[in-house]
Amino acid sequence: MAELRTPIVEFSKITKSFGAVVANRDVSFSIHHSTIHGVVGENGAGKSTIMKILYGMLEPDKGDIYFKGRATKIRSPEEAISLGIGMVHQHFMLVPTLTVWENIILGKEPTPWLIERESIIGELETLRKEFGFQVELTQKVEKLSVGHQQQVELLKLLYRKSDILILDEPTAVLSPQEVESLFEKLQNLKKVGKSIIVITHKLKEILKHTDSVTILRQGSVVESLATEDLSEESLAEKMMGHKRAPLKYHAEQLHQTATLKVSSLVLKKPTTQQLNNISFEVNSGEIVGVAGIEGNGQQELIECIAGIERHFKGQILFNGRDILEFDSYELKQSGFSIIPPDRHFEAVVLPFSLTENAILGHHKEKEIQNGFFLSKRKTASLASHMIQRFDVRPSDPELSMSSLSGGNQQKLVVARETLRPVQFLLAAHPTRGIDIGAVDFIHQHFLELKANGTAILLVSSELDEILKLSDRILVLFQGKIVAQFTKETANERALGLSMTGGSLS
Amino acid sequence: MMELLLSTLRLSTPLIFAAMGGFLCERSGVATICLEGVLLTSAWAAATVTYFTHNPYLGAMAALIVGGCTMFIHAFLTVKAKTDQIISGVVVNLIAAGMTPLLTKLLFGSPTNTKAIPVYERFNSNALTLFACVLPFILSVLVYRTGLGLRLLAAGDGPEALETSGVSPQKVRLWAMSLAGMIVGLGGVYLSTAHASQFTRDMTAGRGYIALTALIFGKWRPIPAFLSCLFFGLADALQIQLQSNPIFGQTFPVQALQALPYIVTLLVLVGFIGNAKPPLAIGK
Amino acid sequence: MRPHFPKAAILAPLAAIAVSALVLVLFLISMGESPAILLEAFTSTFFNSFGLGYTLYYTTPLILTGLSVALSFHAGLFNIGSEGQLHLGAVSIIALSFFLPHLPSYLAIPLGILAALMGGGLWGMIAGYLKAVRGSHEVIVTILLNFIGIIFVNYLILYPFKNTEVQNPETVEIGNGYTLPLLSDFTKLFGSEFFLTTPVNITLILSLVTAILCYFFLFHTPKGYELRALGQNRRAARFNGISLETNFILVLTLSGALSGLVGVNEVMGYHHKLIEGFSPQYGFTGIAVALIARNHPLGVILSALLFGAIHNGAREIEFLSERMTKELSVIMEAFIIIVIASQPYLVRFFSKAKKEGSK
Repeated sequence: MAELRTPIVEFSKITKSFGAVVANRDVSFSIHHSTIHGVVGENGAGKSTIMKILYGMLEPDKGDIYFKGRATKIRSPEEAISLGIGMVHQHFMLVPTLTVWENIILGKEPTPWLIERESIIGELETLRKEFGFQVELTQKVEKLSVGHQQQVELLKLLYRKSDILILDEPTAVLSPQEVESLFEKLQNLKKVGKSIIVITHKLKEILKHTDSVTILRQGSVVESLATEDLSEESLAEKMMGHKRAPLKYHAEQLHQTATLKVSSLVLKKPTTQQLNNISFEVNSGEIVGVAGIEGNGQQELIECIAGIERHFKGQILFNGRDILEFDSYELKQSGFSIIPPDRHFEAVVLPFSLTENAILGHHKEKEIQNGFFLSKRKTASLASHMIQRFDVRPSDPELSMSSLSGGNQQKLVVARETLRPVQFLLAAHPTRGIDIGAVDFIHQHFLELKANGTAILLVSSELDEILKLSDRILVLFQGKIVAQFTKETANERALGLSMTGGSLS
Repeated sequence: MMELLLSTLRLSTPLIFAAMGGFLCERSGVATICLEGVLLTSAWAAATVTYFTHNPYLGAMAALIVGGCTMFIHAFLTVKAKTDQIISGVVVNLIAAGMTPLLTKLLFGSPTNTKAIPVYERFNSNALTLFACVLPFILSVLVYRTGLGLRLLAAGDGPEALETSGVSPQKVRLWAMSLAGMIVGLGGVYLSTAHASQFTRDMTAGRGYIALTALIFGKWRPIPAFLSCLFFGLADALQIQLQSNPIFGQTFPVQALQALPYIVTLLVLVGFIGNAKPPLAIGK
Repeated sequence: MRPHFPKAAILAPLAAIAVSALVLVLFLISMGESPAILLEAFTSTFFNSFGLGYTLYYTTPLILTGLSVALSFHAGLFNIGSEGQLHLGAVSIIALSFFLPHLPSYLAIPLGILAALMGGGLWGMIAGYLKAVRGSHEVIVTILLNFIGIIFVNYLILYPFKNTEVQNPETVEIGNGYTLPLLSDFTKLFGSEFFLTTPVNITLILSLVTAILCYFFLFHTPKGYELRALGQNRRAARFNGISLETNFILVLTLSGALSGLVGVNEVMGYHHKLIEGFSPQYGFTGIAVALIARNHPLGVILSALLFGAIHNGAREIEFLSERMTKELSVIMEAFIIIVIASQPYLVRFFSKAKKEGSK
């Protein structure tokens, strides 16, 4: 029963290709005043592309944009900004070494010459209070929490008097409480007439916070409809194109051997988050999830366990042996596998071929060598085995890794790390940024590994993932384990609370 | 003592100009290995033009133009052609080292030096030194307190942020580097027409790299970099003194003293700097 | 990375040579010289025994310095210190011969080569160590080490090792056991006069073999794999068990050693002594060689040949013309580098122009 209102933005048959890849195909939908509109779809569906076109970062091959009823060409972010369109990117576009107020005025400075600090800061203070933001204007951006950095991004748009705000995956790095806080502010903005477009793939948020959605799949619009007409299953189904298969859980087994034992781990380094007296165990056949907002010690914990950070106090035992006795190559040889958190910078070498990536971390093994040299035949067959088993596409092992989608790259990484006898797996953010199909595949594989006795430590900021897979959950906050939950006692609210340092009384 | 102080100021002057030029360039996000080459070409231009026109001001102008153009080659290669910044810097240095003796031979008959200019045609070295001592403070205000300076800092520390706010980091870099080239050019003017009276082959002798080290030692801020330049100038002044005045009755072989400034620079780079953080966008 | 040879890799250098040749011709004309000397110089570099001999003599050290730079590039490091490293390598041979002048050939030659490797390797290792332990940027460190190394070697040439019987700034001669045969010594065996009076010697063969060894090392061994992974993605390499520190030291030491071998060509192969200023910027030209060859060890051979020819040609021009200097070669080298380096940009520029033109 939507009222007939002139949309503020209307896309009409937008098509955009990058070489052979069609990112947007005949995309048509509209955005109205005072709405929060979700543009949703899997990774690679074309959501970011259509929004980049609206923001002038890309030009469509075909089709038109109607702005306030008139056909308009938006050729640059500058033009978009002058029309009142603003965008907050998924990876924040802030200058870390400058202060908040400097970041806000960047590009729209009051003068090219000497800046009068007091007057501009005063002006920004008024703006900040008007919309209820708490961020401190004179603080350097690199010292801000992620949630506050996002506030800076929003203030940038408000300073430029944007009426249309595009937010690209805004909640990827926020705690549940910060997500609530964000949408509260967005509601306030909506009330003063602004149009807000949220690009996301998070089903629960879409259903809770948007008024209407446009669902994209593989570049085309599946449907545009009011959110109230959707459920989680119907939304997932429309996004994927088929029904989503549920995970298959295996019977519980009791294993008592502590494959990994962390005792009183303390890390004090000036440049990173400290770790304060961390102790826990991961038993064989068990999945232990580490929940927490990024930046609370996860990276440091991962590096200590992975054998990269070696200057810590306390002890980490792997099958009873101190891991400092191994170098990081030997560790991998003993059944200790790692899926690094940052795929592009830690797990794969993009310019290398699939085959060369398949042997990363295992390149000194005798099985793939031929005397002094690496055997082409053996490395190729190893790679093919991984590609087939995990259905990696495209499947040519000589292709460069960069021609694969994120999901396929990650499948190869998981294959590489788990297709050998693995006693302990450290899986850090294993499904970040990949499509639902690949996510489910990897999750199912973890459950298989667990059934075979592997001990898995799952570090992730996706609460859904943690809740689905973990037998026990530890919450990491400011370098300390502040709460422990079992499968039975864990729920989103309790977890969210501990992740920000609060507790259930 | 006073002698040493004055000598230090004089020897630091070209370093300061080079370091200030390097500051602008690096702050905009481009690594400046080519300070050496820019210094060399501008020194050549100053000496040559002053010789032929008998006018040190014209020589200085020529140095500024040539310095700016030399730096512009680096700018074009790195910003437009997206060449690796280190390679581009090395290339500019190679070109400078090759072109200067070639042109010198063509114009003066010998590749080793241009013809000397008479004393009254030399550029006022005190004026340049004074300006060199004031310049870091001017640049400090310009970069850290103005709107244009804000864009420069953003180009170096957050070019994507600058880009999405509607300003092209490429344009900022091109402008910054052209200005930087001119400032380094002043160092060239000093070297060949104020401090000396002609251009000699390879007369920069590594000053560009020492200036770069001073910039790094000063953590990419103009006033600490200025002080570092004074430190290196002092090392150079000491080395020269030691060549003619034995201490403790010991004379050192000339080479040991010649190597001293470089060894000092190396020790500073290695010992005291370790892992300083450059502007974030450098090298990308 | 698979050693690909797409069309561009061959076309680009050819285009670059064409452009730089054109620039040279224009330059010569503008200076009032006849461009015909360019042709004369070119033919003499390849098409007669004397010219070819000299060209190959220059090619030899360029292969080595090119490999030195290329190897480091593969690991993501810039070795600008080739010049200093080769000086240290050369003087190490002199030092060895100074203390053990009467060694017979079967000892002197391998030990001499070893000395060169160690001298250059040591100088490279300093840079590698500083990088690994202190994180100092290897570009500035190697450049400073160049200055220090060259000054130090000059000191050794002028004082402890000086040949006091002559005026020239050169060292005493090396012992007879240390000398290597010239290629013309071999052709003589067949009754030919090819390469007579040219300095090209067996070191050429040594450098070719070294290039082939480098190729197999980089692309077919686990350690070479590690170095390449390090160069492509340092963090990923680290996360997967590849040590930064050990490999940085290793690759800069190896690079230094490769540069050090230049001493073998100069001292053991030709001059039999070390003369101050013996290196016409072999180290820096090595950077250009590596760049044109896209850091591929086998490509370095061809690239070194090109630059050796340019160097020889420039000397020829200096001989043929009163006013030109051999620095002319720098102009040509520089333009070649600029064209190669801006290749992606030029490709885009021309394809855009084509698109506009066809509209």
